[in-house]
Amino acid sequence: MRTLYRRAAGLAWTVPALVLLAVFVYLPLVQNFGYSTLTWDIYSGSQQFVGLDNYRDLFADPVFWTSFTNNLRYALLSVVFQVFGALLLAALVESIRSTRWQRALRTIYFIPSAISLTVAGLLFYFVYEPNLGLLNHALEAVAPGTFDHAWLGQESTAMTAVIAMSQWQGFGYSTLLFAVAIQRIPAELHEAAALDGAGPVRRFFQVTLPLVREMTGLMVLVTVSGAFQVFNEVMVMTSGGPDNSTHVLGTWLYRNGFVRNDFGHAAAIGTVIFVVTLTVAMAQLWFTRRRRVEW
Amino acid sequence: MRARALTRSAALLGASALVLTGCFAGPAKGPAADVTAKPEYSGTLSILTKFAGEPLEPYFEDLAAAYERRHPKVNVELIQETDQSIKDKTKTLTASDALPDIYFTWTGNWAENFIRGGRAADLTKVINPDTAWGRTFGESALSAFAHDGRYYGVPLYNNGKFMGYNKSAFDKAGVDVPKTFEELIAACPDLREAGYEPIAFGNKDGWPALHYLQQLFAHNVPADVREADYDPKTATWDDPGYLSALKQFKTLVSVCTDTGRGTNGVLYTSAQEAFGQGKAAMYYQEILEFDNTTSGGTLKPGDLGIFPLPAAAEAKGDPKVIEGAPEGYFVNARSPRAALAVDFMKFVTSTAHARTLSAPPYGQPSTVVGAVTPQTSSKAVQEGIDLVNKAPRLAGWLDMVTAPEVADAWLAGGEALISGSKSPEQVMDGVRRASDSAE
Repeated sequence: MRTLYRRAAGLAWTVPALVLLAVFVYLPLVQNFGYSTLTWDIYSGSQQFVGLDNYRDLFADPVFWTSFTNNLRYALLSVVFQVFGALLLAALVESIRSTRWQRALRTIYFIPSAISLTVAGLLFYFVYEPNLGLLNHALEAVAPGTFDHAWLGQESTAMTAVIAMSQWQGFGYSTLLFAVAIQRIPAELHEAAALDGAGPVRRFFQVTLPLVREMTGLMVLVTVSGAFQVFNEVMVMTSGGPDNSTHVLGTWLYRNGFVRNDFGHAAAIGTVIFVVTLTVAMAQLWFTRRRRVEW
Repeated sequence: MRARALTRSAALLGASALVLTGCFAGPAKGPAADVTAKPEYSGTLSILTKFAGEPLEPYFEDLAAAYERRHPKVNVELIQETDQSIKDKTKTLTASDALPDIYFTWTGNWAENFIRGGRAADLTKVINPDTAWGRTFGESALSAFAHDGRYYGVPLYNNGKFMGYNKSAFDKAGVDVPKTFEELIAACPDLREAGYEPIAFGNKDGWPALHYLQQLFAHNVPADVREADYDPKTATWDDPGYLSALKQFKTLVSVCTDTGRGTNGVLYTSAQEAFGQGKAAMYYQEILEFDNTTSGGTLKPGDLGIFPLPAAAEAKGDPKVIEGAPEGYFVNARSPRAALAVDFMKFVTSTAHARTLSAPPYGQPSTVVGAVTPQTSSKAVQEGIDLVNKAPRLAGWLDMVTAPEVADAWLAGGEALISGSKSPEQVMDGVRRASDSAE
């Protein structure tokens, strides 16, 4: 009887959270899948069931594949810079003897992460501006007429320019997380390796890297998952142009819904994003459940 | 165990079925708006405007405050958006069946969607040209919001697109106002030699290119062909005039702008700024921008001249057509305060307020007859409105007269043409595909 009461009390405590989750997370997910099987005229409200036609159209849509590829590029470059680059930088910062310099550098690297993505996007829009932009002026000063370019105005450079801004913005946050992970490694392990004659590079590969493996794996998963939810920076800097070359799944979803009035197609893109991010999240759960590195 | 799994599955299926049933349900229907009823002066009246930002924002704020002073029990709730953001805002509100009592609209396909979907109140009884209120407007402005002989919109101001030019720059370069497209292109090297960017142009948002294209289409493609192409059911998009227009546009971007293939990386407002600061000799702009262009920069109102984008000598369309359309407001067909909404719009379009709207700093040429005069409006605004009134026909904005899918293909095509990634023929192929798909 007492056990039953305890169970009921426990359930009662979780009900508010469950209701909130059901209404704001699970219900929209199911609804979104419902919408993806419809064509929907938002003006008259008329809806027609079309089965999986929206998915068939989606997979035949070249801009969908451009967007998907852009998300993959985003993920790949983010893993290179925001995970492995940040890890390297964190190891360098933590190897500095002066704690004052360590703190100063960590703060300097972290500042861009404190700026909202929309503001950073606007800032970089003006950095890349072909007439007045800081980048072209700097390049013009170094090598007149050689490298200046309409970075966001040409299909060949626009996506890379957007991704570069994003790396600048997210780099410091990853560095800070890695710095914390490195600080948790007992100093005697490094000292023992040094006594055995290991140099700084070897200590990084033989001591630091294995002991931050858990954080590195987690960061890879979080970064890849985040790369498939990109929206703000692309909307602010290019709105998906020129010629749809910088669309990512999020902006292509938005464009289909709010510009082309095709909410069924947009919902189908939403489902694809969900499946991708769910897969990454499952991998993340699996990874975090593995036995932790202990020392 | 099996029974429990079965129960769980049934519950899940039931929940999904409930949700899907919800998906299939149409928008909530209320009683149709009675626009002829006596207004009840109480409650909150919501309005979605396109006047966010300076210098336009205070216009509706002042009117709302004045209306509230006149009717103390009425609260006017303003939702002010920009030209770019109002498109998304309106569609979101429409999809969620939450349109305000009064909302902004363009003409063409944009307005027809709301009328066809039963979202715009039929205002024929209160605003048709034979009514007291209707007689205060120019008839062509009222007709722009008519559908099947019924009148749905309250036109607020007229608009048209013109090439604005810096008179001092033209004098310095020894250039006359061009009468043909060829003369315009020929003037560009002289203006550049005189120290000016010949034409300031920013296409970061895609639609500024469409403004050039639609005017060039009007010059190069007969009106009946264009009208047929706007409707995906009758569209062929195969008139050779389209290709001529695309080639002319490409020439203009290559010869007359400093940014050339990189123009997609420049904001429309940056181009406006370059013209206003006297760095560029020309800038293609709407009448609505004239007063803004000459406020705050080095370009003074007396230095601003305008001319319609000239047609090529051999153009096969109509060289006298001007691109433009009035813009106005709909009353929500399901608004419980439709009569009050009509009363508020009558207040907004009274002669005194129409004159205020037409005068600097707003400079929005009202559709109310007699509101735009030499006393109320700047010289350029008045000249622009005269040219719009004299034009044999107006060509509506390309992204508003075509189906959204086709408009989107034009947006991408215009950008591709500028960056050089697609030829005019490839752009037309993309538009034809989008039109076939929209059908």
